[in-house]
Amino acid sequence: MVFPFVWQLVMSLSTNSQVTSIPPTFWPGELQWANFGRVFESIPFLDQFWVSVSITVLRTAGQLLLCSLAGYAFARMRFPFRRVIFGLTLSILMVPPEVFMIPQYQIIQNLGLLNTTTGVVLPGIFSAFGAFFMTQFFRGIPVELEEAARLDGCNPWQIFIKVMLPLVKPGLSALAVLTVVWSWNDLLWPLVVTTDTTKMPLTVGLASLQGQYTTDYAVLMAASTMAVAPILILFIIMQRRVIDGIASSGLKG
Amino acid sequence: MKTSRIPLVLVLSALGLSACGGGGNEQSASEEPLADETTQASIDYAIWNAEQQPPLQKVIDAFNGTYPNIDVQIQVTPYEQYFTKLQTQGSSQTLPDVFTMNSLNFETYAENGLLAPLTPLVEDGQLDPSNYPQALIDSYTFDDTLLGVPQNSQTIAMWYNEQLFAEAGVDTPTSDWTWDDLRTAARTISDELGDEGVFGIATDLTGQQAYYNTILQAGGYILSDDKETSGFDDPASIEGLQFWTDLIAEGASPSVRQLADTPAPQMFNSGRAAMMFNGAWSVAEVQDSPVADVADIAALPQGEERGVVVAGTAAVVSRASEELPAARAFQAFLGSQEGQEILAGEGLGNPAFLESQQVFVDSAPQYNIEAFTDASEYASPYPTSGDTTAWNLLETELLPSAFSGDRPVADVAGELASRMNDLLAAEAD
Amino acid sequence: MFSGIAVFYLYPVASTAYYSFTSWEVFGGASFTGLTNYRRLLEDTDVVRALVNTVVYTGIVLLGIPLGVVLAALISRPGLRFSGGYRVIFLMSYIAMPVAIALVWRQMFKGDYGVVNWFLSLIGVDGPFWLGTEWYALFAVSIVGLWIALGFNIIILAAGLRGIPKELYEASALDGAGRMTQFRHITVPLLTPSIFFVLVINVIAGFKLFDLLYILLEPTNPVMPETQSLVFLFYNESFVVNDKGYGATIAMLILVLIGIFTSLQFRWEKRWVHYVK
Repeated sequence: MVFPFVWQLVMSLSTNSQVTSIPPTFWPGELQWANFGRVFESIPFLDQFWVSVSITVLRTAGQLLLCSLAGYAFARMRFPFRRVIFGLTLSILMVPPEVFMIPQYQIIQNLGLLNTTTGVVLPGIFSAFGAFFMTQFFRGIPVELEEAARLDGCNPWQIFIKVMLPLVKPGLSALAVLTVVWSWNDLLWPLVVTTDTTKMPLTVGLASLQGQYTTDYAVLMAASTMAVAPILILFIIMQRRVIDGIASSGLKG
Repeated sequence: MKTSRIPLVLVLSALGLSACGGGGNEQSASEEPLADETTQASIDYAIWNAEQQPPLQKVIDAFNGTYPNIDVQIQVTPYEQYFTKLQTQGSSQTLPDVFTMNSLNFETYAENGLLAPLTPLVEDGQLDPSNYPQALIDSYTFDDTLLGVPQNSQTIAMWYNEQLFAEAGVDTPTSDWTWDDLRTAARTISDELGDEGVFGIATDLTGQQAYYNTILQAGGYILSDDKETSGFDDPASIEGLQFWTDLIAEGASPSVRQLADTPAPQMFNSGRAAMMFNGAWSVAEVQDSPVADVADIAALPQGEERGVVVAGTAAVVSRASEELPAARAFQAFLGSQEGQEILAGEGLGNPAFLESQQVFVDSAPQYNIEAFTDASEYASPYPTSGDTTAWNLLETELLPSAFSGDRPVADVAGELASRMNDLLAAEAD
Repeated sequence: MFSGIAVFYLYPVASTAYYSFTSWEVFGGASFTGLTNYRRLLEDTDVVRALVNTVVYTGIVLLGIPLGVVLAALISRPGLRFSGGYRVIFLMSYIAMPVAIALVWRQMFKGDYGVVNWFLSLIGVDGPFWLGTEWYALFAVSIVGLWIALGFNIIILAAGLRGIPKELYEASALDGAGRMTQFRHITVPLLTPSIFFVLVINVIAGFKLFDLLYILLEPTNPVMPETQSLVFLFYNESFVVNDKGYGATIAMLILVLIGIFTSLQFRWEKRWVHYVK
C-alpha cells in the first residue's frame, strides 16, 4: 500500500535523469535535498500554500454546515418533492465534472469573483456528494432517540443540534477528511478561475511545473511531497482528536 | 430547510448568462492607434511553459525600457489544461490580452474572430514578416491576415550517440545520409548491442517527430494545399509510414508497445537508443542527461528528397482586449530581434527571428545545432485545417496498427485518408 | 443549500441536456439539430468500446468494497495498537497527489524494467508491456483505481464501524459468539448502510473514470483508443475536437447510465441494507 509513496520520496531526492533512467535507479546515492529548495525558486510556495489552506478551510466548513442540514432534511423531514429533489441532487454526481466548468465560470464572472478566493470556494461549498453522505448517516440513527427528545419538548432545531449532530460526529469527521483531501487536491476549477500566481492553490502551482515536452520530475516529486505532508500531519493529529471526541461524547451507539 | 439570500442573487445573475456567448466574426479595417512610451496600461500574458517564465521576465524588463508604463503580468498554465482554460475564457470574453498559441489550435480561434490582426503593426513597420520562416508565417495567417507573431521555430533533427556507434563499429551519421544509411546503421547497432537492451533508433511515433517528416521525405503529403483532401493514401505517403513499420519489424526500433511504455527520449538519454528524431526543444534535456558528452546532432536523412515539418508557437492578442495598443506593442516586442535574442540565449529552443538563430547555435557549441536551424530552409509548415485535432485523433487511433505490422500499412492509410476526407468535407460545409 | 446546488450544478446539467440536441462548436452559437447527435451516438463503435472499458474498470474497482470491509474491520478491532497508524497508511493512497503518484505507477508498470514484472518474473511469469498493450493497460489502470478506492472505502467504513454499539459485541460474546460469527452477524449487517453508500459512490466514480486514465496513459498512447472510457470520449469531443454538442450527448448517456444503475441500487437497497429502526 505504501510502496508508491516511499518511491515518490526516493524520487524527490534523486536527480531528474535518475528518475527517468532505464533501468530505474532505486537509490540515488547522493541525496538531492536541493530539489526541495528549487521548489521555492519555481513557485511562490508559501503564498500558494496559504491559498490552499484557506480554500480548504472555507470549503470544509461550508460543506459540513450545509451538508449536515441537507442530509438531515433528506433523511428525516417530510417535504414536497423530497424524493425528486434527492434524485436531482444525486444526478449531479452522474455527469462528468467538466460539464460544470464553463457555466460556473460565467456565474463567478458575473458575480465579479474571478481570480478571488471566494470565487474558487463558492461552488465547492455546495456538495451533492456531502449531502448524500450525510443523508445515509442520518438514516442510520435510531428514530427512537429523536422521538424521546421530542417528548422532552425539544423543537426541531434543538433536536438537530443537541441530539442528531452529536450522533453523526463520526460521519461529520469522515466528511471533513474527505472534503479536506478533495479540496486540497482539486486542480481544474481553481486553475480555470485564478490567473494570478499568488492567488492559486498549490495544486495549480505544482501542475505548472510540468512542461509540454520536458518536465523536471525530481522537482515535481519534491513539490508533491511538500504538498502532501501537511495533509498527512493534519490527519495524524485529527485521528487522535476524532477518536477522543467520540469517546468523550459518550456515544455508545 | 431555508433558502438563504445569497443564492437568490446567484439565480438572478445566472439568468443573465444567456447574453454571453460567441464573439464577433467580422474582420474590421485596422485604424486602431498604436502605443507609445506614454501609454499607461496593465496587460496579462498567458503562457504554458513554466521554464520560459524567467527569460520572459527579462524580455518584459527590456520591453519596459521602451514602454515604461505598460505593466505585463505573466500567467503560467500547464499545457495539459492550457487550452481548456483558454476555451473557458474565450467563451466568456475574458481571454488574456496576449497569449501563446500553437498551430494546432490556431484556426479555431482565428475562425471565431477572437484574435486581433497584426496589420497595424506591419503597416507601421514594427513587424516585418520576412524576418521569420515563411512556413511559420503561413501557419499563423488566416484569410490572408497575419494574426500571430512567431515565437520559435521547432524543426526536427536526429540525435545520435557516438559511443554506441563506436561500440557497434558503425560510422556516425553525416548530413547527407539517406534512408538506406539510417536503416543499415540502425539494424547493425540493434544486432550488435541488442543483448544490452540497446536499439538502433527510437523515436516517439507522433506526426511531428516521426512520420510527417518521412512522408515529406518520400515525396508524399499529409494534407493538400487547399486543405480539402488527405494525403495519407498517396503512394509516397504510404512509403513514409512504411519506413517506421520496417524499422520496427527488423528490430532496429523498439516496438509500438515498448515506445508507449518508455518514451523515446528516456531511452536515448539513458543510452538505450543510438539514434532519435526529436525537436529543437530537446537540447536542454539531452544536455542534462548522462549521455550529454557522447551525443551529437545530424540533419534528418533524405529519402526521395529532404523534408521536415516545422511548428512553432506564436504570440497572439485577444481582439477583445481593453488595452489593444499596449498588447500589440508587447506582441511586437516578443517577436523583435531584441526580444528573440533574450529568449534564444536561454537555450529554450530555436527562435523564430531568422537572424537571431545564431544565438541558439552558440548556446550549445558542443552540438551541431545547425542541424536544426538549417532545416528551416526546406521545412514545411505543420499541417493544419479547422479540425486538425479531430483527424489527429484518427491518426492516434489507426496508425499504431500499421506501425506494429498488425495491418498492412496501405490498408490503414486508406482507411485513415477516407475518414479524414469525411471530416474535411464536413468542415468545408 | 438547494438553491446553491440548483444554480451551480443543476443549471449546467440542464443546459448540457439542451446542448445535446444542438450542434455546438466552441465559441460559436448552438443550432438546434434535433436527434442528430443521438443517432450518431447509436452508431458510434467507440462509444460501445468505451462503455465496455468503463464497466470492466468499475467491476474491478468494486472489489475494493469486500476488501475494504475486511481491512476496516481488522484495523478497527478494539484494543488494536496503532489503529490510527493503519488508518493513516490506508488513507495515504487517497490523499496522493495524482500527478506525482501516476508517475510512480507508470514506472512500476514498465514492461522491461518495472517492479510489477520483476515480481512476476520471480514466479516465472513473463509480464507484458502493461501500459502499451490492449486490455492489460485497462487492467493496470483498474489496479491503480482499486488502490485509490480502497483508501476511500476504508475511511468511510471505519467511520461506520465506530457507529456500531459496543454492547452488541459484548452481549454476543456473552452468548459465546466468536470473532468470525460476530463479523458475519453483527459487523457486516450493521455496516450495510455504509457499504451501500460506498457501493453507490464507487459505481458513480467508476463510471466517471477519466483523470487516472489520462495521466497514467497520456492521450497519445497507441492503446488509448482501445482503453478509453466514456468520460474520456466526452472530454475529447468537448475540449479537443471541440464538438461540444456531441460531447453533451455523451454526457447525457453517462448521466442516464449511472442514473439507471443508481436507481436500481436504491430499489434493491431495502433487501439487504439494515437501518437501525
